Amino acid sequence: MMNETVLKEQQSNAMPMPESYAPKKEIEREAAVSIPKAARKRKWRPGNSENLIGYLFISPWLLGLIFLTAGPMLFSLYVSFTDYNITSKMNFIGFDNYKRMFTMDDLFWTSLWNTLYFVLFSVPLTTAGAVFIAVLLNQKIPGMKIFRTIYYLPAVLSGIAVYFLWMQLLSPTTGLINTVLAWFGIQGPSWLFDPEWTKPALILMKLWSVGGGMLLYLARLQGVSNVLYEAADLDGANAFQKFWHITLPMLTPIIFFDIITSTIASFQIFQEAYVMTENGDGGPGGSLLFFNLHMWNKAFEVFDMGYASSMAWFLFVIIMVLTVFNLKFSKKWVHYDGGDNK
Amino acid sequence: MKKGFHLGFILLLLCSLVLSACSNNTEAEGKNKDGKVVIDFQTFWGSETRRPVIEKIVDDFNKSQDEIEVKHTFVPWGDIWTKNTAAVAAGNPADVIVNDINTVAHRAENGQSEDLSQYIDEGIKDELYPNLWETVQYKDKFYGVPFTTDTRVLFYNKDAYKEAGLDPEQPPKTWKELEDHAKKLDVKKDGIYERIGFYPTWGSFGAGSWMANADDGKGFFEGNEMYINTPNKVEALKWVAGWHKRLGAKNVQAFQAEFGSGQTNPFISEKVAIWTDIASFYTQIRDTGKDMNFGIAPIPAFKEEGRNWNEGGGFVMEIPKGAKHPKEAATFIEYLASEKAQKYWAQKNYDNVANKKAAESVLKDFTGDEKLVYEQALKNLKDTRFHPAPIDYPDYASRVDPQLEAAITGKSTPEKALQKAENDVKKLKR
Repeated sequence: MMNETVLKEQQSNAMPMPESYAPKKEIEREAAVSIPKAARKRKWRPGNSENLIGYLFISPWLLGLIFLTAGPMLFSLYVSFTDYNITSKMNFIGFDNYKRMFTMDDLFWTSLWNTLYFVLFSVPLTTAGAVFIAVLLNQKIPGMKIFRTIYYLPAVLSGIAVYFLWMQLLSPTTGLINTVLAWFGIQGPSWLFDPEWTKPALILMKLWSVGGGMLLYLARLQGVSNVLYEAADLDGANAFQKFWHITLPMLTPIIFFDIITSTIASFQIFQEAYVMTENGDGGPGGSLLFFNLHMWNKAFEVFDMGYASSMAWFLFVIIMVLTVFNLKFSKKWVHYDGGDNK
Repeated sequence: MKKGFHLGFILLLLCSLVLSACSNNTEAEGKNKDGKVVIDFQTFWGSETRRPVIEKIVDDFNKSQDEIEVKHTFVPWGDIWTKNTAAVAAGNPADVIVNDINTVAHRAENGQSEDLSQYIDEGIKDELYPNLWETVQYKDKFYGVPFTTDTRVLFYNKDAYKEAGLDPEQPPKTWKELEDHAKKLDVKKDGIYERIGFYPTWGSFGAGSWMANADDGKGFFEGNEMYINTPNKVEALKWVAGWHKRLGAKNVQAFQAEFGSGQTNPFISEKVAIWTDIASFYTQIRDTGKDMNFGIAPIPAFKEEGRNWNEGGGFVMEIPKGAKHPKEAATFIEYLASEKAQKYWAQKNYDNVANKKAAESVLKDFTGDEKLVYEQALKNLKDTRFHPAPIDYPDYASRVDPQLEAAITGKSTPEKALQKAENDVKKLKR
C-alpha cells in the first residue's frame, strides 16, 4: 500500500532524465579503446618531469601510506610472530600466538561469536531499515524536508554522548523504551544488564542511526527515471512488482556498497562495548566482549602486543575473505545502469 | 619555467615539513633558565578537589629547592598508563609518574620502571605501612614508593536500622548477621523492591573480595601460587549466589541499571541500606547526603572468630625506565612520601596515606564524622590485604570473572565454575 503511494508520487514528479541513464556503456567502450594507448607510453617513467610532479603532488599521501599505514601493518604482521610487549621483549616465537589463540583462549571464541552475531543481525537489519526509510522519505508530501532532517539527525549525533543517551533509554525500570513497552502491557527486558539482551540492545541502537545509509539510498531513488515506472504501469504491474523489479534493482549498487562498508565496520565494533560496559570488561556474562575489545584488553591491559597483533591479522583475513566473496557474489545480484549483463 | 616553479614549490613544502618535524628539540638539556633541573611529574589528578592539592605539594617542594623544579602534568585517567608505556618504548617518558599499586612487579619485570633502590635509601620503608611496602618489592629491590592506599569498610544507614527495628549501634559482625540485617532492611511494595537491604557485589567489594575474606584473606593468587578453587571460596561463592537467587535477577538488574552510570549512589539516595566502599566514600556522603545518619564498621567476618579481611588498592610513585633525571626524580619522590606532603594530602583528600606518622597525626586534626571514619580506615589497615596480579597470569581476572558471574546468576554451580576458572587460568600461563 505504502509502496503504491510512493510510486504514484514519483510518477507525478516529472524529473529530468538522470545522467546515470545515459548510455554509459558506450562511453566506457570508447574510453577502453582510447586511453590505454597513451597510458602504455607513459607508464613507469619516473624521469618524465610531468610524472615526477604528479608523484610529488601525491607524495604526502604516499608517504602517509608507506610510513603510517603500510609500515605499521607490516610491523604488526611481524610482531604477531613474536612475544612483543612494547618495552622489553621481542623474541620470534613462530606460530605460538596463533596456536594459543585457536586452542587455549576460550575468550577468543566468545569474542568471535559475539562479533559474528552482531554482524549477522546488524548488517541486514540496518541495510533493510535504511532502504525502507529512504523509500518512505522519497514521497512528495508537505514537510518532507523536516522528516528527512529528523531521520538523518542521529547519523550526525554520534559518539560517546549517544551511548550515554541510549544507556538511559534502555534502563530496565525508568528507561523510555521499557516505559513505552509497559503501556502496551509488555514487560521489557533488562537490556544492557541481561546477557541475552545486550547484543539486541546494541543492534537496536545501530538501527536508530541508519540515517547515513538512508541518505545514499534517497539520493539514488531521486535519480530513478519515471520512464521505467510508466512502462511498468502500461504492462499492468502492481506496486509491489514495481518495487521489486524496478526500485530494488536500481538500488542494488548502493546496497552492495552499504553491505561491504557496514560489514567491515561491524566487525570492528569496539567503542560501544567499551563505553557501555563497566571497565570495558565485556558486559554481563561476557556478552559484549567483541573481537576488538578482547584484542584491546590483550594489547593495552596486559601488553601482550604479539598476541593482539595475531588477533588483528586473523580479523583482517576474515574481513578480506568476506569482502572478496561479496565482490565475486555481487555479479549475481548487483544491477548497473545501461548494462545488459549486469 | 612553470614546471621549475612547481618543482621548487613542492620541494620547499617538503623541506618545511621535514624541518618542522625536527625543530622540537629546545628542552633537550632539561634545565630551565635558572639552571634548575626540570622534572616532569605526571598524574591523573585533574579534578577540582585533587589538582590544587597535588599542585600545592609540588609548589612547596619547588620553593624548598634550588636545584630541581618539578612541573606537574595532568594526563587523563584513561590514557596515563598506556601513554606511559608508549613513552617508555619511545625513550622519552616522564620523570615521575603515579601508577597502580597492584602491578608494580609487572612493570619491573617488563623493564618499564627504574629500580629505585639505586637512588633511595631503603630506610624509607620504616616510615610507611609494611603491607604497602610489600607491593613495591620485586626480586629484593623496590620499584616504587607507596603514596596512597584505600581500604574497604561497611557503611550503614542508621535511620533505616531504626525503622527496621534493628539496633543502629550494632552493625553486622559476621556474614550471618549481615544477611539477617539485610533481610529486615528490605522494603517491598506490590512485589517491587523499594529498598534492598544489602547486595554483596554492589559497592567496591566484589565476589572475589568476599571469597578472599572467607579464605583467611587469601586472594586468587599468593605470589604465583593459585588459590582459586578452595573449599572456603566455593562456600563464599555459594553465599554470594544465594543473594542473587533470593532477590531475583530482574530486581538485581533493575537496581544495578539505576546506578550503573554512576550519577547517583544508591546508598546516598537510600535505595540500599548497607554499602561497602572505600573509606573516603565518606566525602560523597558529606557532600551530597544531606546530613545522612550513617554508621561505619569493618567488613564482616566469614565466621565468628574470623578476621575482617578486606582488600586494598592504591597508588605508588615510580620513575619510568629511561627517565632523563632519575636522581632528581627520586629526591622528589622522597618528598612525596614525607610526613609533611602526605599529611597535607590526607587532610584535603581524606585518603589513606602510606606514611604512618602522617596518617596518625592527621587523625588528631579531624573531628566528628571525619574522625570516626578515618579512625576506622586506619584500624582497617591491619586486615587489609593487597592482591597484586601474578607475573605469570597478568589477566587472570578475565578468566575468573565470567565464571564467578555464571555461578552467581545460576548458569553454573560454584563448584563447577571455580573448577573451570582454575583450568582456564592455567591455560594463560606462557
